[in-house]
Amino acid sequence: MTHSKPPDHINTTRGVIKFPAYFPVTTFGDKYPLDDLVRPYLPRLAPAIMVSLHYARQMKDRPTMPMLIDSGGFASLFDGARVVAQRGFGVLETTHDEKVEVLHPKDVLEFQEQHADLAFTLDFPVPPSMDPEEGKRRVELTIANARWALQNRRRKDLLLYACVQGWDVDSFRACAKAYAGLPFDGLAIGGMVPRVSDFKSVLEIVDAVRAEVPNKPLHVFGLGKPGLVDTLFKRGVQSVDSSSYVKLAADGRLWGQPAVKLGDASPTERLQLALCNLAMATQRALPLSAAHLMFGSRLWESRNQAGLDIATKPGRRTKTATQPLTAPT
Amino acid sequence: MQGTVEIPAKQVATKRPSAELNPPQREIDDQGLLRSGFSVVLQLPTGSGKTWLAEQAIAEVLDQGQRAIYLTPLRALANELLERWSTRFRGHRVGVFTGEFGQSQAYPVPFEQADLLIMTPERLDACTRHWRSHWGWLPRVGLLVVDELHLLGDKGRGPRLEGALLRTRALNPFLRVLGLSATLGNRAELADWLEGVHYHSDWRQVPISWRSERFKRAADKPGILIAEARRCVDEGGQCLVFVQSRRRAEQLSAMLSEAGIPAGHHHAGLESHQRQKLEVEYRSGATRVLVSTGTLEMGLNLPARLVVLYDLQYFDGTDFKPLPVNTVWQRAGRAGRRGLDDRGEVLLIGPAWDREIDRYAEGRFERITSGLADRRALAEQLLAEVSSGLARTRPQLHRRFAQSLAAHQDRLPNIDHVLAEMTESGMVTEVSDDDEKAPRLKATRLGRIAVRQMLAPVTVLSLARAFADEGAPSLKLFDILLACAATEDCEPRIPADFEELEDLGGRLAKQPSSYLARSVGELRQDMGHNGRRLLAILKTALIAREWTRTGCAQTVADEFGCYVFEVRRLAESLERILSAAVAIVTPPKNAEQTTSEETPPAAPLVEGPVLADRVRALAAMVAHGVDEQTVTLTYVSGIGGTLARRLRDAGIEDIEDLAQADSKGVAQVRGVSESRAACWIEEAAQIMTSRSAFSLREFGMSGRSTLSTLDLPVDPYRLRRALDLMVRRQSDAYLVSGGLEPHRVESASVGLRCDCQGFEKGHECKHVLAVRLSQNDAQLRLVVERLSSESSPLDFDLIQLWFDRDKP
Repeated sequence: MTHSKPPDHINTTRGVIKFPAYFPVTTFGDKYPLDDLVRPYLPRLAPAIMVSLHYARQMKDRPTMPMLIDSGGFASLFDGARVVAQRGFGVLETTHDEKVEVLHPKDVLEFQEQHADLAFTLDFPVPPSMDPEEGKRRVELTIANARWALQNRRRKDLLLYACVQGWDVDSFRACAKAYAGLPFDGLAIGGMVPRVSDFKSVLEIVDAVRAEVPNKPLHVFGLGKPGLVDTLFKRGVQSVDSSSYVKLAADGRLWGQPAVKLGDASPTERLQLALCNLAMATQRALPLSAAHLMFGSRLWESRNQAGLDIATKPGRRTKTATQPLTAPT
Repeated sequence: MQGTVEIPAKQVATKRPSAELNPPQREIDDQGLLRSGFSVVLQLPTGSGKTWLAEQAIAEVLDQGQRAIYLTPLRALANELLERWSTRFRGHRVGVFTGEFGQSQAYPVPFEQADLLIMTPERLDACTRHWRSHWGWLPRVGLLVVDELHLLGDKGRGPRLEGALLRTRALNPFLRVLGLSATLGNRAELADWLEGVHYHSDWRQVPISWRSERFKRAADKPGILIAEARRCVDEGGQCLVFVQSRRRAEQLSAMLSEAGIPAGHHHAGLESHQRQKLEVEYRSGATRVLVSTGTLEMGLNLPARLVVLYDLQYFDGTDFKPLPVNTVWQRAGRAGRRGLDDRGEVLLIGPAWDREIDRYAEGRFERITSGLADRRALAEQLLAEVSSGLARTRPQLHRRFAQSLAAHQDRLPNIDHVLAEMTESGMVTEVSDDDEKAPRLKATRLGRIAVRQMLAPVTVLSLARAFADEGAPSLKLFDILLACAATEDCEPRIPADFEELEDLGGRLAKQPSSYLARSVGELRQDMGHNGRRLLAILKTALIAREWTRTGCAQTVADEFGCYVFEVRRLAESLERILSAAVAIVTPPKNAEQTTSEETPPAAPLVEGPVLADRVRALAAMVAHGVDEQTVTLTYVSGIGGTLARRLRDAGIEDIEDLAQADSKGVAQVRGVSESRAACWIEEAAQIMTSRSAFSLREFGMSGRSTLSTLDLPVDPYRLRRALDLMVRRQSDAYLVSGGLEPHRVESASVGLRCDCQGFEKGHECKHVLAVRLSQNDAQLRLVVERLSSESSPLDFDLIQLWFDRDKP
């Protein structure tokens, strides 16, 4: 029996993910130490986490919450990366220090089968400036990789989302059409981050994909700004992922007031800012506020102080400019 | 209930039937206060079910898959709770983390695996200072219960509790705090600081009545106590008596027992098994009256029908002051046994002229104020923040401490001033990597040592200065102990009585010491103390030295008239301080660890390996209760204190004995195989080629004197004092004067006998020596001649110190 509407949740072995869902991106390894501070608290604020394959490979202890593992295909946009067709599949070759690393759909799926609850197939984004011929080739290889992954998935409880790529609305639609009728657990639209300045076109792509696959969960990669997310969810998208909450916090900023910067945030202050940012995105209540950090002292830098009434006494909380205890709904 | 938060009512699965709850418990439960998601301060009288409420809150978070921490100020109570909660929270792992465990004894349940962690505030402080090592479990904690929340106001322990709370809350922003206390003068302020709500009730299961008995002369007090205790016991009650000193607890309990009232005494000087025995006897009713110091005012549940506050003053180290209302109520709260008494009675015994006593019954509790108002306490916590990497710049430190209770109460000292002192003293450095960014604060090597060993910065500084002094190379073992005993972190510091000054003088004269060879003024300066505090430091160092000689706490306690528990605590405390001392005198493995910016004025070590060797050896001697010979056995890899003691008991007293032993003989020692013994013997022989078993032996009484007391037939200190006394023949005896009181010396069957306390204790007292001198005792005259050709063993008089005006 087919449903005309996408489901309101999906089941993973580590828990149910209710839609709409916001998946915070996290990393493992030494590159982003703030992620290590934030990660233990993610189960309280989000239904699952998103990790890129590159960082997931550096994982020592697997978190107990549902984990989504991306293929890491975005690396095809980096300098020194090449998308190569190999026996009908798309393989990613990257060169570091004269060493060539090859990422094959098989490597991706094998790792995902070991660690992921939900996997994304190996895709190759098409930036807006790319030559249409190369774009077409990338989309074809993306589709081929997705079909291969579907046929070769061994773990039945591993949810598999096919990645949708394209260079314009029609090509995204065509890519989605190629998946219609195949038993993927969902579709994930990539390549949206460079197009976000033209949000209207993003929405058109979403609409086009949704029209082709009306009954599957739809995920949009990399768009996590609260205002956009609301619109995407209203437009029929089931989930998004983003690392913005932690990137902003690392820079001493709150989503609610990005113009105000805590210039010299300590590790635990960054942690607090990240949690506030994430709570705002996931619309969860927090037992903490960042008001005293951002507005309780003169120790911050601001590009735009207009409209803010700042407490005059250093270090004390003010009642004139507060961050809400709970995120707005 | 107060507070501004609307709390939805909810039923809890793990609770008692509503009918069994007392009114405050029911109200708290009905309001869902503990499930509100906010921190809560609960102020309820003793015995009104605070612990049950804490259990409810803990059960909630455990059921949610989170963890809980329960902070208790008492180790004894931690063990009691472990037993109780291992049953109550079956299915969850309950761990206890107090000073008893950790170094020599593994924690029964490791941190990572414990769902419920029972610990002291100091342990939580340590965990947060080293938060990276505890990151596997700290974020999983949902609830922190702080029993006896008023501890925040304690000068000694309060700042560490506050520092631990500050860091725990910063590291775990989801953490809720449940603060419990019977006596808070400012619960709303504390709740506000915790961004929580508060609840208060005066309801008691057994109501209490207050009255006072007045005396005109202090000598009347015992009679009042006996009469009251007898009345209470005759009516089937039990009685708790609170006094201000351990000695008084012992004396009164003996007096009550003599009066036919089954009585015992309870104080921190007792061994834990003795305390437990007393507690059992009291609970069973075999002991009807328990005379206690403040040890029973917190935690332990030993209620009585009658609580007597025998002393309404306490000694704060300098002066006698009236007991705080909070303390009186903590003690009074024990009155009234649930199910046994209709009413509890509180009796205050005070002088007739003191009208202030009546104010106690009004229960106007004192405000709990932050201990971080003290600059030294703040310095320790600033250093902990910097060293742990949680605050790396001045603005970060300012913001962190803006969250402190001290800041909340407008009592926070100027952080920049404290930081300037710390930078100047070489505990912290400020490095500017980038003109755009605020300079980074870093703890220096000395600073890190202080944080690692949980010592006050001033302790580490004073040790570093002692070891950097030009006289440091000649410091003897006793001098190092003196330097440690003089630090802020040495506890207990055991006071000296006037009567024992002579005995102490004799003992000190026998100590090889370079400090004691200096003038009293220099000694005061070296130790940073004078008067009775300095005397206590001298006595404490003597006790520690005796511990290293005998390794038997009981023997040492008997010899110095202190408690076994005190000797053990002292050894533990000195072990920690000496660990820091070892780190100070040990050059860093990697020279890059100390940057050029962190060259403190007093820290660099001028001593050679000899001092470092002595400090290291002393640390092992104190840790294991072994002397300077036996400790040489620990030079061999695999031989620690326990094995060294076993070897010593088997007749292998030092490394030389071991090098010459045969493996079969050594293998007779428990826990040693023949092959292991053979390895040891080989290594010992190797070590003997470069080190002597006697390298740590010290001779001479002081830095100046070369005369060994071992050569003297009498105590030189007493002999010197005897020279100042006057002897008058009085019929068949001698009257010796010139001291505080005249004493009578008479001939006995063997030698002479004196009526002084020193003689009673078995010493040949100065009075007897004075008589022998007056009789022209040839042997003594010879000693006097030898002593006068040497410098005096002690160039000052301890009595002089006794009459110093004590200044901190």
